[in-house]
Amino acid sequence: MKKFVAMFLALVLCCTALAAFAEDITLKVWEGQDDQELLKELCEAYAAAHPENNYTFQYGVVGTADASARYLEDPAAAADVFVYPDDQLIRLAQADALYEVTRNHDAIVAANSIGSVNAATYQGTLLGYPMTADNGYFLFYDKSVLTEEDVQTLDGILAAAEKAGKQFNFDVANGWYLASFFLGNGCIITLDENGKQVCDFNSEKGVEAAKAVAALCAHPSFLPGDQNILTGTIGDSVCAGVCGTWVADAIKERLGDNYAAAKLPTFTVNGEQVQMGSFGGCKILGVNTQSAYPVEAMNLAEFLTSEESQLRRFEVRGYGPSNINVAKSEAIASDPALSALAAQSDYAVTQLIIGDFWTPASAFGNALIADPTVDVQPLLDQWVAQTIGQ
Amino acid sequence: MKRFWKDFAQGDLWVKGSCLVMGLGCLKRGQIVKGLLYFAAEILYFLFFFGFGWKYLSHFHTLGENAQLRVWNEEMQIYQRVPGDNSMLILLFSVLTISVTVLFICLWAMNIITASRLYQLEKENKHIQSLREDGEALLNERFHVTLLAAPMTTLLLFTVLPIIFMILIAFTNFDANHQPPGNLFTWTGMQNVTDIFLGNATKTRTFTGILGWTIVWAVFATFTNYIFGMILAIIINSKLVKAKKMWRTWFMIPIAIPQFVSLLLVSRALEPTGAVNVALMELGWIKTPLPFLTDVTLSRLVVIVVNMWIGIPYTMMTFSGVLMNVPEELYESASIDGAGPVRRFISITLPYMIFVTAPATITTFVGNINNFNVIYLLTAGGPASLDYYQAGKTDLLVTWLYKLTVDQHDYALASTIGIFIFMIVSICSLAVYNRTGAVKKEDMFQ
Repeated sequence: MKKFVAMFLALVLCCTALAAFAEDITLKVWEGQDDQELLKELCEAYAAAHPENNYTFQYGVVGTADASARYLEDPAAAADVFVYPDDQLIRLAQADALYEVTRNHDAIVAANSIGSVNAATYQGTLLGYPMTADNGYFLFYDKSVLTEEDVQTLDGILAAAEKAGKQFNFDVANGWYLASFFLGNGCIITLDENGKQVCDFNSEKGVEAAKAVAALCAHPSFLPGDQNILTGTIGDSVCAGVCGTWVADAIKERLGDNYAAAKLPTFTVNGEQVQMGSFGGCKILGVNTQSAYPVEAMNLAEFLTSEESQLRRFEVRGYGPSNINVAKSEAIASDPALSALAAQSDYAVTQLIIGDFWTPASAFGNALIADPTVDVQPLLDQWVAQTIGQ
Repeated sequence: MKRFWKDFAQGDLWVKGSCLVMGLGCLKRGQIVKGLLYFAAEILYFLFFFGFGWKYLSHFHTLGENAQLRVWNEEMQIYQRVPGDNSMLILLFSVLTISVTVLFICLWAMNIITASRLYQLEKENKHIQSLREDGEALLNERFHVTLLAAPMTTLLLFTVLPIIFMILIAFTNFDANHQPPGNLFTWTGMQNVTDIFLGNATKTRTFTGILGWTIVWAVFATFTNYIFGMILAIIINSKLVKAKKMWRTWFMIPIAIPQFVSLLLVSRALEPTGAVNVALMELGWIKTPLPFLTDVTLSRLVVIVVNMWIGIPYTMMTFSGVLMNVPEELYESASIDGAGPVRRFISITLPYMIFVTAPATITTFVGNINNFNVIYLLTAGGPASLDYYQAGKTDLLVTWLYKLTVDQHDYALASTIGIFIFMIVSICSLAVYNRTGAVKKEDMFQ
């Protein structure tokens, strides 16, 4: 008996010794060109915090816009951990590219904002680790021309712009911005339980919103065009515009002390003020289902999107975090662009679009710019028909 | 072919044995190395086929039955993935396996022919070439085989194979909703074709509309460059113009700037806040910016005009060369006979130039049907149209194809359009080329 127990204990000892052997783990990580330095820093920190294994990291330069395209070229050769924007979630989910978040799921959901968690969720399952929550748009304006009261309403902005002889830029020919009128007035564009695209932009509310867009296009101070807030020179001939955080630095440079940002204004529908809605986007860290080391990849992803990492990311790169604690911090609150974005995110919805929404949206916007008096109902019908796939 | 069967039927046991064991005929008649090489090829092929090819070829008719599976792993607390079939890899490697099989069959046929030929030589007691003699022949009489072997193989592998693969995609439903490894796609036969012409009103409208504009664009782009280049060349070449070299240099400078760069810059300059509109407004000629890129008619005019700026230097150069080669005596004798300048132009210059430049112009015309750069970089195919399916009013078939592939990931539809473009372009170019004077009167140059 004693011999048997002794042998058994020896065997157990052997097993634990074997388990304590350090594993050689190679993880491939993808992120954009400008984020590579920070990525290396965070990955090395992770390796240092987990000395029980030997980590080797292979870094790939893949911008977030190209993430899903590069992944689908060859899933087996793609990174174990990669960053993608939330509008590519559906495409990746349909290709079964992402591991579900099953380890520490509740902690991750609790730590990040509801919007970012929703953006990373597909059909009820969380498919990634939310990393940033600043892919939305809001209002930039020149403080020397517009007061805080002016920028509360669209009419106020346009009136002040006309008085000063300057212009207000809004990219009507882009479905991303154009939808703000429709979403604000109560229209929906989303996926139903079966994953089919649902869009009611051609309803009565949609027609009211379209008429408001037409009124904007007809105004003499209206300036269309993508990012024309910059190219049309804010500070000179442009006094305000709707854009996102990626132009914040450039605008700050031009306006200096007159730099200000606010949530989107309200617009007039049937004599009443309606708040403009928007799309709120996030960047999400996904784990490849073809990964050779799924558990280690998930642990790395969790580390890269933890509170400390998101704070570091804001300090170094200025990205708005999805982590609730970091978002509440002083540093974020004092940044005009990010606080405007946070204010606007109360009215933002997740972008759930799989249909052919963008091209007809652009066509519709162009039609309104060309002729604000055109009859909007048939155009809206065509737009919605193409979006829901008929 | 008949000879092959006759030879084979007459062959002895060793020739017939070469069917099963390649190289047997060669080994018997003394060509040891060649025989062993044939045999090695056979072994390699079977290894390839059963070790790799069959795995994919067996699924070729369905392009995969099982997608990736999710299995809950309690220990790791994750949904582990069990790899399933990957439709794209099945299609790709099946095509590869089929082509390798075709090559192998050719090799096998060569083996039989060699065996029967060696048998004939032995029967007639003629000399059978040794390895060294074979090698020398490959460098002398049969040098064409040596030279062409490598290019042919690489051509097959890297050009023909991908084209076959992409043509086959047109008969599947490989689009954004059917991305492997999560989903499978399968054969749908002629569905995509009927969709374009019958099934889907929007797609039909888009296809015919874009096809119409593509032809109109190709005609205008080619002939505006042709005519204006000709006129420019004639003016510069005429006796009234001094400093010919300087004029020619000035008009050639647009070639020096890469097309890519100039198109992108002009595209920016034509925006509502761009250089052109700002200049016109400062001059007071217009009050509001002109919608160069957002109005349908204006954007079409813009692409044609900008294309002239890019293309005229080339046509001017060609015509200058042709003009300088027209013999002076023809003009002199014509003016002696009393022909005026217009008459001289119509009867001497024009036929000469058309004769020489017709084939090149056809090439240009066909090239303009697929002129991706000018359209995409200038207007991105815009302005977008609600009537069209994912296309704009200045889109060519090829830019529409690009948008479908890169933006919509609708590979099946894009591939179908690609096949149509190929058919249109090849029919056009073959039909017109064979009827040009240059081909018909090839022997009678003037």
